[in-house]
Amino acid sequence: MSQPPPPSAGRELANPPSDGISNLRFSNTSDHLLVSSWDKSVRLYDVSTNSLKGEFLHGGAVLDCCFHDDSSGFSVGSDNKVRRIVFNVGKEDVLGTHEKPVRCVEYSYAAGQVITGSWDKTVKCWDPRGASGPERTQVGTYVQPERVYSLSLVGNRLVVATAGRHVNIYDLRNMSQPEQRRESSLKYQTRCVRSYPNGTGYALSSVEGRVAMEFFDLSEAAQAKKYAFKCHRKSEAGRDIVYPVNAIAFHPIYGTFATGGCDGFVNIWDGNNKKRLYQYSKYPSSIAALSFSRDGQLLAVASSYTFEEGEKSHEPEAIFVRNVNEIEVKPKPKAYPTPAA
Amino acid sequence: MAKDPIPQVETTCGSLLYELQIIWDEVGETETDRDQMLLELERECLEVYRRKVDQANRCRAQLRQAIADAEAELASISSAMGERPVHIRQSDQSVGSLKQELGKILPELEEMQKRKTERRSQFLLVLEEIESITNDIKGQGGEHVLSKPLLDETSLSMTKLEELHSHLQALQKEKSERVETIRKHLCTLYSHSSVLGMDFNEVVSQVNPTLTDPEGPRSLSDHTIDNLDAAVQKLREVKIQRMHKLQDLATTMLELWNLMDTPIEEQQEYQHITCNIAASEHEITQANSLSEDFIKYVEAEVVRLDEVKASKMKELVMKKRSELEEICRKTHMLPVSDSAMDQTIVAIESGIVDATLVLGHLEQHISKVKEEALSRKEILEKVEKWLSACDEESWLEEYNRDDNRYNAGRGAHLTLKRAEKARNLVNKLPGMVEALASKTIVWEQEKGIEFLYDGIRLLSMLEEYNLLRQEREEEHRRQRDHKKLQGQLIAEQEALYGSKPSPSKPLGGKKAPRMSTGGAATNRRLSLGAGMHQTPKPNNKKADQRHVDGALSTGRRGLDVAGLPSRKQSMNPCEQLQSPLVRKPFSPISTTVVASKANIATPQQLVPNEISSFATPVKNNIIKNLEEEKMMSMLQTPKNVAAMIPIPSTPATISVPMQTAPTPLNNYARLLPEKTEVVEYSFEERRLAFMLQSESMIHV
Repeated sequence: MSQPPPPSAGRELANPPSDGISNLRFSNTSDHLLVSSWDKSVRLYDVSTNSLKGEFLHGGAVLDCCFHDDSSGFSVGSDNKVRRIVFNVGKEDVLGTHEKPVRCVEYSYAAGQVITGSWDKTVKCWDPRGASGPERTQVGTYVQPERVYSLSLVGNRLVVATAGRHVNIYDLRNMSQPEQRRESSLKYQTRCVRSYPNGTGYALSSVEGRVAMEFFDLSEAAQAKKYAFKCHRKSEAGRDIVYPVNAIAFHPIYGTFATGGCDGFVNIWDGNNKKRLYQYSKYPSSIAALSFSRDGQLLAVASSYTFEEGEKSHEPEAIFVRNVNEIEVKPKPKAYPTPAA
Repeated sequence: MAKDPIPQVETTCGSLLYELQIIWDEVGETETDRDQMLLELERECLEVYRRKVDQANRCRAQLRQAIADAEAELASISSAMGERPVHIRQSDQSVGSLKQELGKILPELEEMQKRKTERRSQFLLVLEEIESITNDIKGQGGEHVLSKPLLDETSLSMTKLEELHSHLQALQKEKSERVETIRKHLCTLYSHSSVLGMDFNEVVSQVNPTLTDPEGPRSLSDHTIDNLDAAVQKLREVKIQRMHKLQDLATTMLELWNLMDTPIEEQQEYQHITCNIAASEHEITQANSLSEDFIKYVEAEVVRLDEVKASKMKELVMKKRSELEEICRKTHMLPVSDSAMDQTIVAIESGIVDATLVLGHLEQHISKVKEEALSRKEILEKVEKWLSACDEESWLEEYNRDDNRYNAGRGAHLTLKRAEKARNLVNKLPGMVEALASKTIVWEQEKGIEFLYDGIRLLSMLEEYNLLRQEREEEHRRQRDHKKLQGQLIAEQEALYGSKPSPSKPLGGKKAPRMSTGGAATNRRLSLGAGMHQTPKPNNKKADQRHVDGALSTGRRGLDVAGLPSRKQSMNPCEQLQSPLVRKPFSPISTTVVASKANIATPQQLVPNEISSFATPVKNNIIKNLEEEKMMSMLQTPKNVAAMIPIPSTPATISVPMQTAPTPLNNYARLLPEKTEVVEYSFEERRLAFMLQSESMIHV
């Protein structure tokens, strides 16, 4: 029944999670990969040796995870708790709780804070150094118009995407008010938001096969540059089937980005030149998450059913790590025709 | 006196008798008594005689017996020794008395007995030696059988001794032969094991532990020799086997060297291996030259070389492939699809396909492509010319729109010159296109295939260009008409109010659409016009998300051949309303036109320019729905158009332009229709709900 993916899919990691993969992230300092899953676990893999280095079991589905440093990280999930986990000793502290399941977590190296977004319509900031007493570590709670679906950080900027297509942009140094309140340019539910590595804007994907490229700068000149494009679609019998775009990952060096959709494809885009650079061959299941390694040489791909069609039988969860060729991610500047003199 | 003891005795007897007579006379014995006495005396004397005779007789018999015994022994010894006695006694002429005879025979016997003992010891000596050698040969090890050799006492003849001696010699010879054989075997064994890098002592002790001791006695038995022989044979087989293996490896190595032009210095290191490539088994004598380690070492080198070769082959394949791509790129042919190529490379890596085979295919392919490229060359040159002319045309178009074009500035004269040149060129364009088309048709007829330029049929590009050109001309005409009309209007206004507004600058200004190339190269690949941002429908059903048809499909994947009729719009009336601009078959899909039609539907703003800039036949059935218009206006301002004008370029690989559409500038004011909204949920929320539900089911 399950067809093995083509050999060009990349290396498959051994011991994948047993239920849906909610997110995966490469470390900033090594080739370690942190993976959170609906099977209530957080797993740490060493990609270079394809080995499982550690596993944490939580009280509920883990919805997101991120690294703190190479030996510790944070995880959030459906048990409303925000945890700090220390890999080498297997220790975990609860930083605090939300009132409802926590959808996403980010760690800001700039602010030294953990930022979490929850379906309780709040974003909370935590100081992981604080005593591990209840709520002792909490720095602030910021009410959002709707349930938080995705967060992204670049520098001191925090982009919060919620249900109802709201997008709030904060400055971490002044969280009292959103710097900007926006509405998504896309008509449908937001799936993922990711800031450009250069800090000038963010990409936002929706459930309807579309990605919008946005800019923070509100000047007309800057706003004129924004656009949206269609992707992860399939034409069949005269009808377009559109797939949700679940994941966006920017290349740390070139600023190009990968998108992953429920069609099982991973595409690489050059946002500046508006070109698709590459399409990897189809993965067995929806692309649930993507992450480039710190040097952009590796791309981790979570091929895992994302529940877009409700409960149904599906391909087993798999994590692929593929080597990225420069040609696949390097921007291709437009060749301007030389004016005939 | 001694001469006559008997007369003396007789005398004594006579005198004694006389004395007795005297006594008797004196005594007066009677005659009868006297006779009695004398008779008794006589009888006693006789008795004594008889006894003595018997004694003598017995003595003689003994003597005879002794002689006979001695003679018999002598005879037996003689016969045993196979020699005649020294003295042969004539039985008939007996010489002298019995005692003499005995005296003669006894020393003879002694002599013979002495000789016999000597002989015997000789025999024993020989036999012992034989015994020991036999033992050696039989391999029982001399220690435990030190039993006296059995000696047949009855045959100790010289001939027998000779026989034994010769037997002994034979045995000795055999022994020495065996020693020699073993020595030879050991030598061979030693050389083999040294060549094979095995421990000689270990090998030998496996055969027979006595052989390892260079001083002590060695087992010479058949068994040992057989074992040795077998061991030698075995080692030799191993050696031959290894030699073949090594020679195979060496051959492979040489082949790989040849293939990869390995420098001599690198080869030198393995010279001692390759020099043995044609050697026969006995020629390889160098110690360790066939040891397992050595073979492993050579094997490792071969594996390394193989890997190097594989990677070189891969490199070569990649090089050939990039060469192929380069040629394709240069000649604007469609390259071999990447994924097929990737798969071949993967196949090579996994060893399913021989790289040389792929290389051959590639080579063939390249030559084919080159050939085709050659045939395309002429037309391509013309295409380049045409494209550059198109560029110039578009430049001219833009230039003509620039109202300040005659402002004298730096380099203005150059621009003027360029404009003049461009005008000339543009005049020649129709002819150029004509010529190109006819050439292409001829080419296509000749080849029986379509002439593709970057995957698009050149003829369709030309056709499209012509259409576009016609359309543009028409547009120009309309624009002129409009201007005239406007002029009249202004004149009327002027007549009414007496003021003359400055001539309205066409919207889009310098960034005005560029439509000259007719979407050649990349423009044509971009099909926009899908950027309709409709309000989210209150019921965000999944079906709607997954099958957004019609309106959303107008912008298809970049690689789709543009210029085909766009797919039938869906019959959804709502969407129909929102996207009234159905693209006509073969209508130009030059981004700007379509995009502007689709997205820049802002009548209020566009009214003055509507006809001038965007007048196309389709335009007439423009939206009347006010609400819709408002929404559109929010979605799009003409400025944004510029953002999505792709500039033609020739993609190096199959990078595909995105199907971009500008997004609304500001959406603050936009409100969602909230009256019937159902709460939306993300997949994760639904999943969690399902999970909790099923968990609680389990608990129940």
